Amino acid sequence: MTILLLSLAFLSPLAGAACLVARDERLAGRISALAASLAFALSLAIAGGVLAAGPSIAVRGWLLADPLSALTLVIVSAAGCAAAWYAIHFMPGASRAMGVKGTPAQYHALYQALLGSVLLAAMSNNLGLLWIAIEASTLASALLVGFYSRPGAVEAAWKYLILCSVGITLALLATVLVFASSVGVFGEGAAGLQWAALRQVASQLDPRLVKLAFLFALAGYGTKAGLAPMHTWMPDAYGQAPTPVSALMAAGLGAASLVALLRFHSLCARCVGESYSGHLLMVFGLVSLAVSVPFLLIQGDYKRLLAYSSLENTGFVTLAIGFGAPLAIVGGLFHLLAQSLAKSLAFLVGGTLSVSYGSRRMDHWSGVLDASPSLGALFAVAGIALAGLPPTALFLSEWLSFHGGLQAGHAWPVLGALGALATIFVGLAFHWTRMGIGRARAGFADPLPASSRAPLWSLAAALLVLGAWIPSPLRQLLEQAAQVLRP
Amino acid sequence: MNLPLAEWMPRSSAVNLLAGVFLLSALYVVSQRRAAACISGYAWNSVSLGLIAALVAASTGERHIWIAAALVLGIKGFLIPRLLRQALERLRGRRVPEPYVSIPVSMLICGGLVVVAFSETRELFGSAGTILSSCLPISVATALVGLYLMVVRKHALLQITGLVIVENAIFLAAVSLTYGMPLVVEMGVLLDILVGVALLGFFVGRIEETFEGADTTRLSSLKG
Repeated sequence: MTILLLSLAFLSPLAGAACLVARDERLAGRISALAASLAFALSLAIAGGVLAAGPSIAVRGWLLADPLSALTLVIVSAAGCAAAWYAIHFMPGASRAMGVKGTPAQYHALYQALLGSVLLAAMSNNLGLLWIAIEASTLASALLVGFYSRPGAVEAAWKYLILCSVGITLALLATVLVFASSVGVFGEGAAGLQWAALRQVASQLDPRLVKLAFLFALAGYGTKAGLAPMHTWMPDAYGQAPTPVSALMAAGLGAASLVALLRFHSLCARCVGESYSGHLLMVFGLVSLAVSVPFLLIQGDYKRLLAYSSLENTGFVTLAIGFGAPLAIVGGLFHLLAQSLAKSLAFLVGGTLSVSYGSRRMDHWSGVLDASPSLGALFAVAGIALAGLPPTALFLSEWLSFHGGLQAGHAWPVLGALGALATIFVGLAFHWTRMGIGRARAGFADPLPASSRAPLWSLAAALLVLGAWIPSPLRQLLEQAAQVLRP
Repeated sequence: MNLPLAEWMPRSSAVNLLAGVFLLSALYVVSQRRAAACISGYAWNSVSLGLIAALVAASTGERHIWIAAALVLGIKGFLIPRLLRQALERLRGRRVPEPYVSIPVSMLICGGLVVVAFSETRELFGSAGTILSSCLPISVATALVGLYLMVVRKHALLQITGLVIVENAIFLAAVSLTYGMPLVVEMGVLLDILVGVALLGFFVGRIEETFEGADTTRLSSLKG
């Protein structure tokens, strides 16, 4: 397990360096895609190892392979893998059309830096290392958000960098406070920063400092995860970043940051009882859902629409974990997985469509099904998934979460969330039927080769399969990950 | 480095003196309109932080705190101000946008923030058992002043100055609550902050060339 974790930790930095050395656009793209695929395979192997042999801690307590970190690794690397393969075909044309600040090889190197830091955050056992990795991901992604040279990209990157830097500074304070709360137990040793050690002595930590730490973690990692009202960077950054980066940020970075916050929640719940942090999560989840509704309805820009859909989904996962019932937590974690598949698919298929229509405005898109049946099918699957309809995985995860919420006796929050989801469904149904049905707009031309759709088909297939049937290893992984979170 | 100050004065008063410099330098930044003066204020802020850490190292005799203190002095006291000055050089000749709130009013508001920080910190954090527990209210006050700076200034470089002052304050909180985190973590954190400031400086340059000036109020095209 140590070897698997270590090679996963070093894979992306090495691949990024290789991209810089390679310089050639095609070669760098292939290195990046191969490294991301290898990362996915390693993540699956780690998940398998955790299921077979239980959780393990490696490298003197720095890295952790437990069910929750394995699940996060799988989520992040699946999104990273799909977006890296897609980028081979997408980025050359997009870079030429937009004008870029930097070279193609730098794009792939930065992409690997982002993927690597998010993976490191997902598997770190040390809160300090977690902070360093999340901050590194902010820096790498800020450069990627500002990769195109248009003014909007500069604006989005600046706002993203400033807002997330403040957020991450608050998260540093949360880290310090957890460390301080454990001084009575561990003294000044490094154990006071390790999840696995902290979990076992949670009841002896200083409750006042732990509560305060959770508040700062909520504000700090909540900003990175994109919870309202700290979500304002998200539409700008997702809208301006190159499409594969938007997909990785929405699916991978958001998931890893949210899991970091959830680990603070589980620590706080073990220390001072479930209701304090659980209720706060429910409030922030509901607020995020509510805030996303109007922006989803009136949105005209496809990528900004997806950013608000991310806000909705992050809010939903937060709410489900806040419910606290085992079934709701399983549902919430499954939703995290399902939404990251759906969001990756939606961003990537949108990338092809915006190139084909020559615009990202949704009112310029019409007759997708008529124009290209295969793109239309992918687009339809993405829309059905985001709207939470059967037979996709998001329907199942939402249903599980609501069921768990009712079991835990949170009828009003469930009702509120149902109302928000129903409204969002109407909005998405309106957008998608308007874009999908009808006659194709003149001038539609898809310049990308058919092989660029292979990662999209894999994502769509995963969404449909998981909606009908959860394989038993995945079910075990979800259940065990829920036990990590549940006090 | 054995401070003579610490020999003839009780150590706690030396710490208190430096903590005073720490807070006053942050307030000095609020009082200044010129970016160069604000960067100097930040440098003073960092140097006092590094010296506080050095005093802690001298009292506890822990080697890792000595290294952390040296890194703080080197990175925050020297490298980051230098990066900020370089970014400022590139902006020469541009008009500095006025802050949202006039400077005298800002000073009054920050005075209020300091009072709030001093009265509420005990309530929130309890009293830490270290020789630096008196620094905790100062670090909270400085963090609030730094956040205020970020909100009220329109100049991109001054927003960065506010951010790094908040980071200094969190460092002081870490030192006063626990004598600092393990060294490897501190080093990683400092490295991230350094790269972060370099990156922010890079984006100030891009804002300047795209929007003709470092006025962040012009960054308003993305909406909805």
